[in-house]
Amino acid sequence: MVERFTVSRRRALFGAAGLAGAGVAGAAAVAGAAAVAGCSDDGSSADTTSSPPGLVPFHGARQAGIITDAQDRLAFAAFDVSPGVDRAALRDLLVGWTAAAARMAAGQAVADDEAAPQSPPRDTGEAIGLTAGNLTITFGVGPSLFDDRFGLAARRPAALTEIPAMPRDNLDPQRSHGDLCIQACADDPQVAFHAVRNLRRLAQGTAVLRWFQLGFGRTSTTSDSQATPRNLMGFKDGTNNIKREDTASLDRFVWVGEDGDQSWMRGGTYAVTRRIRMLLEAWDRDYLLDQENVFGRTKVSGAPLGAAEEFDTVPLTARGRDGELVIGEDAHIRLAAPATNNGVTLLRRGYSYTDGVSQETGQLDAGLFFIAFQRDPRTGFIPVQRRLALSDALNEYIQHTSSAVFAIPPGVRDDRDFWASGLFAT
Amino acid sequence: MRRAPVAYSAIAIVLATSAVACGGSDSGGSGGSGSGEKQTVTLTLTSKGCSPSVTSIPAGPTTFNVVNKDAGAVTEAELMKGDTILGEKENIAPGLSGSFSLNVKPGSYQLYCPGGSGPEKVDFTVTAAASAAPATTFSPQVTAALTAATTGYATYVRQQVADLVKNTAAFVTAVKAGDLDQSAKLYAAPRLNYERIEPVAESFGDLDPAIDARADDAPDPATWTGFHRLEKAIFADRSIAGLGTVADQLNTDVGKLNSLVATVSFQPAQIANGATELLNEVGQSKITGEEERYSKLDLLDMQGNVEGADKAFSLLEPALKTLDPKLATTVRTRFTAMYKALEPYKKGDGYVSYDTVTEPQRRTLSQAVDALAEPLSQVAGIVVS
Repeated sequence: MVERFTVSRRRALFGAAGLAGAGVAGAAAVAGAAAVAGCSDDGSSADTTSSPPGLVPFHGARQAGIITDAQDRLAFAAFDVSPGVDRAALRDLLVGWTAAAARMAAGQAVADDEAAPQSPPRDTGEAIGLTAGNLTITFGVGPSLFDDRFGLAARRPAALTEIPAMPRDNLDPQRSHGDLCIQACADDPQVAFHAVRNLRRLAQGTAVLRWFQLGFGRTSTTSDSQATPRNLMGFKDGTNNIKREDTASLDRFVWVGEDGDQSWMRGGTYAVTRRIRMLLEAWDRDYLLDQENVFGRTKVSGAPLGAAEEFDTVPLTARGRDGELVIGEDAHIRLAAPATNNGVTLLRRGYSYTDGVSQETGQLDAGLFFIAFQRDPRTGFIPVQRRLALSDALNEYIQHTSSAVFAIPPGVRDDRDFWASGLFAT
Repeated sequence: MRRAPVAYSAIAIVLATSAVACGGSDSGGSGGSGSGEKQTVTLTLTSKGCSPSVTSIPAGPTTFNVVNKDAGAVTEAELMKGDTILGEKENIAPGLSGSFSLNVKPGSYQLYCPGGSGPEKVDFTVTAAASAAPATTFSPQVTAALTAATTGYATYVRQQVADLVKNTAAFVTAVKAGDLDQSAKLYAAPRLNYERIEPVAESFGDLDPAIDARADDAPDPATWTGFHRLEKAIFADRSIAGLGTVADQLNTDVGKLNSLVATVSFQPAQIANGATELLNEVGQSKITGEEERYSKLDLLDMQGNVEGADKAFSLLEPALKTLDPKLATTVRTRFTAMYKALEPYKKGDGYVSYDTVTEPQRRTLSQAVDALAEPLSQVAGIVVS
């Protein structure tokens, strides 16, 4: 990535740890050199691209990190609100989180630290000296938030419903669901991790981390300007993803419109996340022709079978000389295609992940952390996945190990607004 | 017991009648604090011992650079006050250098560099600083409250250690009498005393390892001493024959701790940071069940750590209520939640065996500790004077 200028994080040194003590606290003066070129605060929507290189505007009509050009790295966390926390404390958390997220998205430390040798630094520090790396921090709320704890039951959108059990699911409940979620995407993994870590720290006592997933490489493209990356199976995936340039499709399939049943969600969207483990040892033993038939694409070029180029129309009805469909009935590309799903399409934002070695089997625990945005999972992910789960040829090589759904509220308008403020409006 | 064999944690509570505040045993070099003037003393290790660049400095933040050009026999330097190590750098072989940093206060010290042919200790004087560092000024009421906290905490520490001495003696008697059941019964009481004030014990060099090392902390199983050596014999080996020497040594070490705390005093920030450290102890070695792996008394240790932290916080609470009432309320609320989290495991005078606590339950306990420790860690910066 070329950057005309970089925005450096605060360079304040926090000093030799432990050199402390009464007497010096007042004297120590860490330079508060916070000078950072701010993101444009002109009310422009977060989905425009007129910002300085390396910075994605935090404020806007929609949250960043949805149609923003997919960054290279992901840190995704789900939280549960702690027992005994009331609605006011939940609101306080979101106010504090929003302020911290706005700062981090602008390349700043989570808070200005006053020099206090006897206090832990308020920012954890691992992003000092790094650029913001197009950091976006996207917030969502899960269905469980609308139980009887916070008096929010009446604000639950009908679309925010748990994903029903699907054939072949092997879900780990500890890695699934959650009251709240934070999706941090950046081109630098340390910047993404730093964002989640610091928000988690701010939440101590109010919310606990339920699960946390790192993604090391993007598998989706959200702009015509980006090349299609490959998933861990070596295939180009998401060639036909919705791109941010296609505003008509975004309005039709992704953004909640004025007809949304809950006004606080208008301009928002819904995220479904699935941790899809790939059985890579078995996949790597599969012969090339079969791999290509499973996906319905040529491995190297990414072209649909029966077509020449990656972006050619998928020839779903073409038959070979033997009379058989060139792209099989159970090919992934067919079952996921809008044409097979009554025209429905999802905005995908997946990342390859690995969590090391499966202790049970000694095999790689790696795959795709799938994120899809849509205006209603009941007409989006759920029917599409049901079809895939029943007959996708890929099922032999994958296993869904976690599932979650979150309502992603609209953007934070300005520094007086906060995430999901509409949820608390009286 | 900390895993790392370092006498000083960054937030150690130290003998402070006149000495220093907190010691970083390995600051990793000079500079970087941004805190203005910081002086440097170079300690050259020679075949005889220490050769400091100066033997008298004004009080204030100081970095001691330890340099070894060619002294094969002398590889460490310590700044000591009496028997207490205030800062040290070890394993400086010929050709290497290292440093430690301290905020030294006026008084008489010794530089200790053992192994050479000359005297092991060199006197080192710290004079009053030319100009006092600007300190936070508190109202007379807050100052009085903080003073009361420091004396109150010293009293608490001495009382706990006195009880530790008494309870250890009874335990040791049972061990030496070969009474396995009685030993098992009397093991818990001194543990509770010790866990309440553990960071204080940790500030005295080798005393904490001698009293509280776990099997994997001891460099050599043959020299493993302290509570956990006896715990293993009682609860795992079910044989305490031949452990009279270890038992006597424990008595002696606890006695040493008792005489050391007789002159100890504390600063408010040290009390607060010591409380955080107690909770870090819970999170690091109690939640995992490492600390009391044979007796399964980890929940009792947790209670000790939490009570010790609560005592420290309670003493600071009146001042904190003036300085930062919101933080005071938050910490108090979280202490209440912490005790509530421990409540379901109470049984009789103590707790259920820790091996009956499931992983999800341990996770909930750990989350309660984190929820408490995070705001508690902010207290020191507010009460620092």
